[in-house]
Amino acid sequence: MGSMFRSEEVALVQLFLPTAAAYTCVSQLGELGLMEFRDLNASVSAFQRRFVVDVRRCEELEKTFTFLQEEVRRAGLTLLPPEGPLPAPPPRDLLCIQEETDHLAQELRDVRGNQQTLRVQLQQLRLHAAVLSQGRGPPLVAAHTDGLSERIPLLQTPGGPHQDLRVNFVAGAVEPHKAAALERLLWRACRGFLITSFRETEQQLEDPLTGEPATWMTFLISYWGEQIGQKIHKITSCFHCHNFPFLEQEEARLGALQQLQQQSQELQEVLGETERFLSQVLGRVQRLLPPWQVQIRKMKAVYLALNQCSVSATHKCLIAEGWCAAHDLPALQRALQDSSGPGRGRRAPPQRPVCVSVRPPAAQSEEGVSAVVHRIPCRGTPPTLVRTNRFTAGFQGIVDAYGVGRYQEVNPVLVFPVCGGNRAQRGQGRSPGPTGAGGRRPPQHPPSWGRACGPGVGRGAGCRLRGAPLTLAALPAAPYTIITFPFLFAVMFGDVGHGLLMFLFALAMVLAENRPAVKTAQNEIWRTFFGGRYLLLLMGLFSVYTGFIYNECFSRATAIFPSGWSVAAMANQSGWSDAFLAEHPLLTLDPNVTDVFLGPYPFGIDPVSPMLAVGPLGGARGQVGQPLLRPGQVVRRLTPSPLSDAQIWSLAVNHLSFLNSFKMKMSVILGVTHMAFGVVLGVFNHVHFGQWHRLVLETLPELVFLLGLFGYLVFLVCLKWLRLSAAVSATAPSVLIHFIDMFLFSRNPANRDLFHGQEVVQSTLVVLALATVPVLLLGTPLFLRWQHRHRSAWRPGGQQLDEDKAGLLDTPGVDEERAEGPGAPEEAEFVFSEVFMHQAIHTIEFCLGCVSNTASYLRLWALSLAHAQLSEVLWAMVMRVGLGLGHKLGAAAVVLVPVFAAFAVLTVAILLVMEGLSAFLHALRLHWVEFQNKFYSGTGYKLTPFTFAVEDE
Amino acid sequence: GSVMLEGAELYFNVDHGYLEGLVRGCKASLLTQQDYVNLVQCETLEDLKIHLQTTDYGNFLANQTNPLTVSKIDTEMRKKLCREFEYFRNHSLEPLSTFLTYMMCSYMIDNVILLMNGALQKKSVKEILVKCHPLGRFTEMEAVNIAETPSDLFNAILVETPLAPFFQDCMSENILDELNIEILRNKLYKSYLEAFYKFCKNHGDVTAEIMCPILEFEADRRAFIITLNSFGTDLGKDDRETLYPTCGKLYPEGLRLLAQAEDFEQMKRVADHYGVYKPLFEAVSDGNGGKTLEDVFYEREVQMNVLAFNRQFHYGVFYAYTKLKEQEIRNIVWIAECISQRHRTKINSYIPIL
Repeated sequence: MGSMFRSEEVALVQLFLPTAAAYTCVSQLGELGLMEFRDLNASVSAFQRRFVVDVRRCEELEKTFTFLQEEVRRAGLTLLPPEGPLPAPPPRDLLCIQEETDHLAQELRDVRGNQQTLRVQLQQLRLHAAVLSQGRGPPLVAAHTDGLSERIPLLQTPGGPHQDLRVNFVAGAVEPHKAAALERLLWRACRGFLITSFRETEQQLEDPLTGEPATWMTFLISYWGEQIGQKIHKITSCFHCHNFPFLEQEEARLGALQQLQQQSQELQEVLGETERFLSQVLGRVQRLLPPWQVQIRKMKAVYLALNQCSVSATHKCLIAEGWCAAHDLPALQRALQDSSGPGRGRRAPPQRPVCVSVRPPAAQSEEGVSAVVHRIPCRGTPPTLVRTNRFTAGFQGIVDAYGVGRYQEVNPVLVFPVCGGNRAQRGQGRSPGPTGAGGRRPPQHPPSWGRACGPGVGRGAGCRLRGAPLTLAALPAAPYTIITFPFLFAVMFGDVGHGLLMFLFALAMVLAENRPAVKTAQNEIWRTFFGGRYLLLLMGLFSVYTGFIYNECFSRATAIFPSGWSVAAMANQSGWSDAFLAEHPLLTLDPNVTDVFLGPYPFGIDPVSPMLAVGPLGGARGQVGQPLLRPGQVVRRLTPSPLSDAQIWSLAVNHLSFLNSFKMKMSVILGVTHMAFGVVLGVFNHVHFGQWHRLVLETLPELVFLLGLFGYLVFLVCLKWLRLSAAVSATAPSVLIHFIDMFLFSRNPANRDLFHGQEVVQSTLVVLALATVPVLLLGTPLFLRWQHRHRSAWRPGGQQLDEDKAGLLDTPGVDEERAEGPGAPEEAEFVFSEVFMHQAIHTIEFCLGCVSNTASYLRLWALSLAHAQLSEVLWAMVMRVGLGLGHKLGAAAVVLVPVFAAFAVLTVAILLVMEGLSAFLHALRLHWVEFQNKFYSGTGYKLTPFTFAVEDE
Repeated sequence: GSVMLEGAELYFNVDHGYLEGLVRGCKASLLTQQDYVNLVQCETLEDLKIHLQTTDYGNFLANQTNPLTVSKIDTEMRKKLCREFEYFRNHSLEPLSTFLTYMMCSYMIDNVILLMNGALQKKSVKEILVKCHPLGRFTEMEAVNIAETPSDLFNAILVETPLAPFFQDCMSENILDELNIEILRNKLYKSYLEAFYKFCKNHGDVTAEIMCPILEFEADRRAFIITLNSFGTDLGKDDRETLYPTCGKLYPEGLRLLAQAEDFEQMKRVADHYGVYKPLFEAVSDGNGGKTLEDVFYEREVQMNVLAFNRQFHYGVFYAYTKLKEQEIRNIVWIAECISQRHRTKINSYIPIL
């Protein structure tokens, strides 16, 4: 359970699956989603693997499924997702399913084919009828007679041998878009030896394939000459026209037409019968298909996973390798026992000793009874597994979007203990079957596990365990991103009202999160918000808090406590008369005058509440201004003109410059603290990875540099706040000038010291900070070089011995590993220049980054200022105008409705959504760049367990 | 020149940026060397199909009924290419659409000639239609067998198609026998190439810089192939010269020499005058097992087409992609043929796409 700080311990495990039980085991693992398989056959191409035949059969089936699905969809029916548990079917069921599917598909094909032919026939009949009725219609008759009358002079002019030739007809139908091209081609190819007439069909005909209604063009071509006739036939066939016999006598045509109509009626009856049968078959498909699809998909997944396993030397079992969280190992063990043990199907008693796993694998596989899992030494970097729950998922998403953490690197998101984690949640998702129940691991851990896989008990010399139980769990649970992210956001978004709205919105989502309608909503924007609902919740909450600090609620101040300033006292003490007020546009509240400044406001920024104004001055002239800690420097003035009571608060002219000074300093303080925190987090990484040299050669110099320069600045700011009172405000020293002098090693006599011996301290700090730069630059590379030389001087004898030992203790399993890959290149070649370059870049980045990142935190100031100003503008331009308009009650009420509507819409659209997004973006950047580059490398990859569960898209 | 270039860079993406991005994406999906190595190892066509599924071809054979044949694979691959091309063409704006129409013309010429040859041999139109390249399909295509002479062909059938302008030199009343069809093909192709070349040249910009060398090479290749094929036929030397496209590097001197060539050696001597073609002819090895002239030309073409992707803001990428894809299809078909005929010794003589 040392996983509060970093990703969980992930073990490389080897599974020995007896050939007979391998399928059930893997299918069970798929239901549970415990481990990620590693491909042991990477060098074998897809079609040379062991289970390729089975995979191919599944694919064949899926092909048939696609056909069936397509048919169902074409009939306008939908397939419902299957319900209830559907485990991967036992391999022998495949044949059964295949047979039934093939049968169904064949039946469907037959019926479909029948229907198709019938439809084609029907279409032919209808087209024929349309063609015949074209000839019957009056227009053509007219055209025909016209043709005849015109033909006589036409034929006489050439006076040649054409005279006794008969007029022949070609009639047919063609798709409308081809008609024009056909007509032109006919004209060009036959040069006037024909007369064409095209007509659109009156009623639309169904397309036999798609069933869509379409109009056709019927045509009637009358021509002279045999050769022309052949040409016409060729051309019409090339345009895929339907040609029909055309009888010349009208009576014969009528007779044929009647016959056609009768035929088509008969045909329609047959077609209706066929379609009824078709819908029966489709209904069966609709019922059977979805469960099959799920089952076969699972089966295929199992075979694909099995394809990644290698075969043991004795051919009695399959060897699988993969990553599994150390925490899940007992569950994995149990699952394997349940699904492969002699009492297969029944649930094995949970007390069964787990130490079975450490028996030599060779002996195990000979027995061929039970599948076995055992840990093997890690090769390569394990994947990162961070369990999240619905609360932390959003925050983890923020970090993962930047980069998945290196294995067991300090995770910027504080992760809570595993109970009720993601796994259980995923199980409850759309995946059918026992996953939901199976996903929840029993809380008790078999006590023997730790011992069972302890060092020395495992197989061979190489089997030593990585990562003894971490001791880090004892460390205080520092609130990382979960707290800092909403906090930095809130610093930029501080407003009680806006924060409250955001909080309520998020709260509504959180309360409704289990409703199916909310869960399954497909809207992309909605899903984004919904996914970050807990993030929004905290962001809203923190914004309420900072809103109180800034004392702003929709840009209005609130006065929970009485103000620390008294205008009345000021007026009484300095004897302001009405004439004095009339003369002076601006008045100053002097904190040094008795009773004017009574003390700092207990919480946040002093509102100088309007309530206090009522009094000696009469009416609503009032008070102003709100210095928080340093009233001495702040000059407060009053405008004397009488004002309506609603606006008095904004009277302080220097309100803004006071806020600027305060927020700027606050930003620097927060920034330096945040960055220093990041550097300190790096310590845990170095300790965990055993890189003690980096502690001394990197973290220490970095801390000295950061705190010596910018930490000192923060110190000066705080000191000035605490040490200097209003009484000495006139002669207060400037922190900025001190800080500049510090670097110049100079002294400004006009700027008095803040504390005794300041110059010495400053010089020491600068020298110290500069001295850390070469340490940072050269320390690690030189140390690594020394270490490398030291080791290589040692090496030759030892390595030999190791290899000998390994050879003696070789087991088939080890062979497999060897063949698969030599493991992580633990001792990658040491190239000094590369290490040095890397370190040089890091040094430059850090030192310059300290300056630029500190400056970057000033965005906190800029954005909070922008937010405050925008909301004030909105109030002043919309609400105040509305409130000032109608003095009569009726008018005000009428006007205020649209004004408030505009105010509300603009508040939500601009201040909540737009400003919220921008503050979010900047908070994100501060975390990704300024905070995480101090300690987080994010070069890992995620553990993606083999699971049947459907991930939420 | 530089002013024009700036123009291309400024405005190209407004009209054609989307399609260029798309075609570059498509190009990235061409099979890699590793894919070929895997394909060559396949034992059966089913294996081949499984491997192709792991590439960008995906499930393109999923709906084919067993047994799988080479021609089914070929047809499906061509259909896929055709779908992509149609997509480009439907989304293109002028002048890219004209460019793409020009590209289609070469396939249309091939199809017309194929159909006329089929008619001459009294084969049914349906049988021939299967062999026609889907990129060169057009409605009037099937009617070509009603034409007896080239003029007929033009006046009745092809006058409305994009092929019409290429007929200017081949209007004749000769009966279309085998030789005349071949002459017609080459004349059509000649005027087509010249027109395409002129179009690219007039377009200027990077398109001209990329496409002109490619089309010059295409023209010269045709000249060589025509010469090679005319040895031992009754095609006269003067007639032969009229068939050479005149937009290549060989024009005019080389073509005149080529017209006089009487055997392969003489042809080679002509090629020796040109730095581009000399190494190609030297790479041709006689005897079996070596590369043929055709292979060498294909390799050179692939090389030019691959290089076309190194420049941006031009239409050549569409041409290059289509040609590369075609070469890929030829390669796969070759490998599939070798597999299905169990003739594995020559399986490696596909043209690698760099």
